[in-house]
Amino acid sequence: MSRTEQCPDPAEGRSPDESAEEPADETADESGDEPGNESADESPDDSAALLTTYPVGRLAATVERLRREVRAAQAEADGRALIELAKGILVERLGCGPAQAARQLAELTEQAGVSTLELAVEVINQAARDRLSEVADAFLTAAKSTDAPTGDTSSRGHSPAVRMREAESGALAAPDTQAVADSLLQHALTPLGAVAVAIWTVRSDGSLTLAGSAGFSPAEAGRWHHVPPGVVTVARTSLSERAGQWIGSLAETGLPSIGQHQYPDGGRAAIPAGTGGRIHGALEIVWPSRLEPQPPQVVRQVEALAELCARTLETYAFVHGDEALREPRVVPDATELVDLADGLHDPALVLVPYLDGGQLVDFHIHHVNSRFLDPAGRPRGLVNGAMLLEAYPMAAGESDLFQRIERVYATGEPFRAQRMNLTALVDQVPLSAVAEISISRHANSVLLIWRIEDETARLASILQHAQRLGRIGGFEENLLTGEITWNTQLFTLYGRPPTSAPVPLEELPVHAHPDDAVTIGRFLRTLLHHRRPASASFRLRRPDEVTRHIRVVAEPVLDADGRLFVVRGAYQDISAQHWTEVALAATRVQLAHTEQQATERSRLTLQLQHAIMPPTQDPLRAPGIDVAVRYRPAETEHLVGGDWYDAVVLPSGLVLLCVGDVAGHGMEAATSMVVLRNALRGLAVTGAGPGQLLTWLNSVAHHLTGTVTATAVCGLYDPQNRTLRWARAGHLPPVLVRDTGATSLPLVKGLLLGAAPQATYEEDEVQLAVDDTLLMYTDGLIERRDRSMEESMTQLLTMVRAAPSTLDQQLDRLLTYSRSDTDDDTCIIGIRVS
Amino acid sequence: MSIAQNPLSVEVALPREGIALLTVEGHLDIDTATGLQHHLANQFQHGRRHFLLDLSAVPFMDSSGMNIIIRAYQQTRESSGSVHIIGPPPAVRRILDLTGVSITVPVSDTVDEALALVDRPRGEPEI
Repeated sequence: MSRTEQCPDPAEGRSPDESAEEPADETADESGDEPGNESADESPDDSAALLTTYPVGRLAATVERLRREVRAAQAEADGRALIELAKGILVERLGCGPAQAARQLAELTEQAGVSTLELAVEVINQAARDRLSEVADAFLTAAKSTDAPTGDTSSRGHSPAVRMREAESGALAAPDTQAVADSLLQHALTPLGAVAVAIWTVRSDGSLTLAGSAGFSPAEAGRWHHVPPGVVTVARTSLSERAGQWIGSLAETGLPSIGQHQYPDGGRAAIPAGTGGRIHGALEIVWPSRLEPQPPQVVRQVEALAELCARTLETYAFVHGDEALREPRVVPDATELVDLADGLHDPALVLVPYLDGGQLVDFHIHHVNSRFLDPAGRPRGLVNGAMLLEAYPMAAGESDLFQRIERVYATGEPFRAQRMNLTALVDQVPLSAVAEISISRHANSVLLIWRIEDETARLASILQHAQRLGRIGGFEENLLTGEITWNTQLFTLYGRPPTSAPVPLEELPVHAHPDDAVTIGRFLRTLLHHRRPASASFRLRRPDEVTRHIRVVAEPVLDADGRLFVVRGAYQDISAQHWTEVALAATRVQLAHTEQQATERSRLTLQLQHAIMPPTQDPLRAPGIDVAVRYRPAETEHLVGGDWYDAVVLPSGLVLLCVGDVAGHGMEAATSMVVLRNALRGLAVTGAGPGQLLTWLNSVAHHLTGTVTATAVCGLYDPQNRTLRWARAGHLPPVLVRDTGATSLPLVKGLLLGAAPQATYEEDEVQLAVDDTLLMYTDGLIERRDRSMEESMTQLLTMVRAAPSTLDQQLDRLLTYSRSDTDDDTCIIGIRVS
Repeated sequence: MSIAQNPLSVEVALPREGIALLTVEGHLDIDTATGLQHHLANQFQHGRRHFLLDLSAVPFMDSSGMNIIIRAYQQTRESSGSVHIIGPPPAVRRILDLTGVSITVPVSDTVDEALALVDRPRGEPEI
């Protein structure tokens, strides 16, 4: 919120900001003034004072209310005003008093058989067509024939009013401005004591042209027919001040002017000649001697004459040879200006002056172009067609925008400003934007152009920064002319000075790493041969020996015949990105390696287990018995367990049979299994019994493997007498299948391995017969979550009862139909007495 | 600590100085064993060296449950404490016998019986 759009209020000594924020912050208002009090004092009549006396912010707030009141009042008063206007016309034309005019109007109404208002409108309409005399005559004729005549006013006397009318009719009848000057001097100015008159017209270039004169020598008129811009004369002063200049003696001012030698000490008057707020020129009047201050009536008369001049200046082409040709006085239609505005790339408004009683009060926003951008963000439709001060009440504030437009309209001097505050009110909050402003007059309209600086500047700067931050360099290459355009960023990217010649796309391979030649070749082929958008990444070798990773994106631009003529695109330095990708790839490799390691570890475990216990094994050659083993590893590799079996003929001729299960899974369980298995083999060579072997094995488990616990069943078969001595350490006892019966051997006492430092193991002996089958197994065969060990055992015994012919078949069948629901490894060892 | 289908409840009481009675209810398996282990570790942390495990409301126990008991046994053994199992149902009793744990860890029918065993000066474990 800038201060500049607020109109300071010296009378109250309050800052504009305070007044703007007043509704929100009443405590800040210590003067005790209520905003309402001030608005209550204002009447529509005071609006002119309001414009200058009160802060614009408050003014804007009341505009809407005033507009509503005015509209209501207008609707009411229109009818009456028209009648009053018609009366006024009659008063002037008939030279009678208002009362008589009223009577006249009433009588005319009666005769014409129309309503008073209709008649009044008829009178005004005719008047507006500038046929005042005829209208008056017509009415006079009518009046004389019906009522007491008021006299022949058209030819009577020398009253100022009549003189004026005579001058007017003379001027209206005159073929050019020169004739107007003659008429003015003869009819209106000589009676005032003036001896010469000059009518200046102001041109768009600011120069003055003597459009007509009377009372000067032709030579003097010829000398002064053109006054270049910037030369200060009496007429010019009136134009720049936009106020009538009344000079007692020309010599005292020191200003040059026409006829200065003929009447050096004479009085002068220079009045801006304007209609409807637009100044067309100036009327300069020369008195032969010193001019005393004139009475207001005379001043008003002269001003009226100036306005008359303005009308003639507006109406007639000047007879000044080539200049007339250069500036034809044909008033262009506003539609041309609308077309012009629509062709502009900046927001533009076509303003048409809005007159009230001949006074310029506002501008009508005749058109806004398609690029129009409201500083307050309102849609075009809301602004289009509105009054300028209604749409932009703040324009009357300190920004002077309205005054600038007014001045441009009046003088025709275009106005340009680089940075000007444009302020708009949005819900009483002034929004300001800095804009580039251009105001120019075209015929009877004003073209207002603004470019809201912030946005374009910001956009351009954002783009620039984005390119810099993204290390993007843009290029365009014309293939027909060979012209190449690079932006500065691209030169930086290439490591070349901005003064050097850009590198054509075709030469790209020369600047790239040789290994990228194929990539670039493909890129160029897609782009230039197939004429399709293409992109490629390559290593750019810069002159400074630095290698950058660059991504180039380009698209072909085809002409109307479909021929390729321009290629445009961008280079982006993706080196940082590239190295991130490289790092990522390395991490991926590392990860894959780790994964592979884990897989290998599992495989190694499995291999270890397989090496020790092949899933299938050649039948063990042992005297008197068939031995078969089955090992089924866990389905998932990482679940490799610690199950083991062993069947070996000892030096003593006994056969060692063993099944064990180390708690847990994985490498640790597998290695512990290897330790226990090999330890048992070694210990068995001593010839000790199974109970003793397990006691030692318990020590091994407890002391050598750390915290591992394991279960095992261990037996020594004596082929001589077909007996099996066995002991168990927390393991399931063997199952004996004899004929069609299957029984589990007794649960002799024996603690699992590794639980206690020392343990003893009970032994059992079983006498086997021919065709007896004995099974040792791990709990992977029977373990189920949903039923007890007992039930599982019963299930197993039932299954093994229906013994198939061979031992191998029996073991296979056990594995196949195992009711186990755990994905655990499983071990079975079976012997059949032969 | 326990899954919804087989919640394991463990109630801890201190019948005497240094003795923790843990009453376990529910399946003691791979999903729930950690719960019991935490309770045991906590009591051990508080200086209790004798642990009475009332398993009368444990219908099923697998090797995970067994391992908890073995670990507790090993720990108390080093600090002259003891672990007692009270009133295991047949299925649990069967596992204890199968693994031989019932050889080193005394199994009692009642809490009082177990408390009496705690009082008795222990020599080498009966096997």
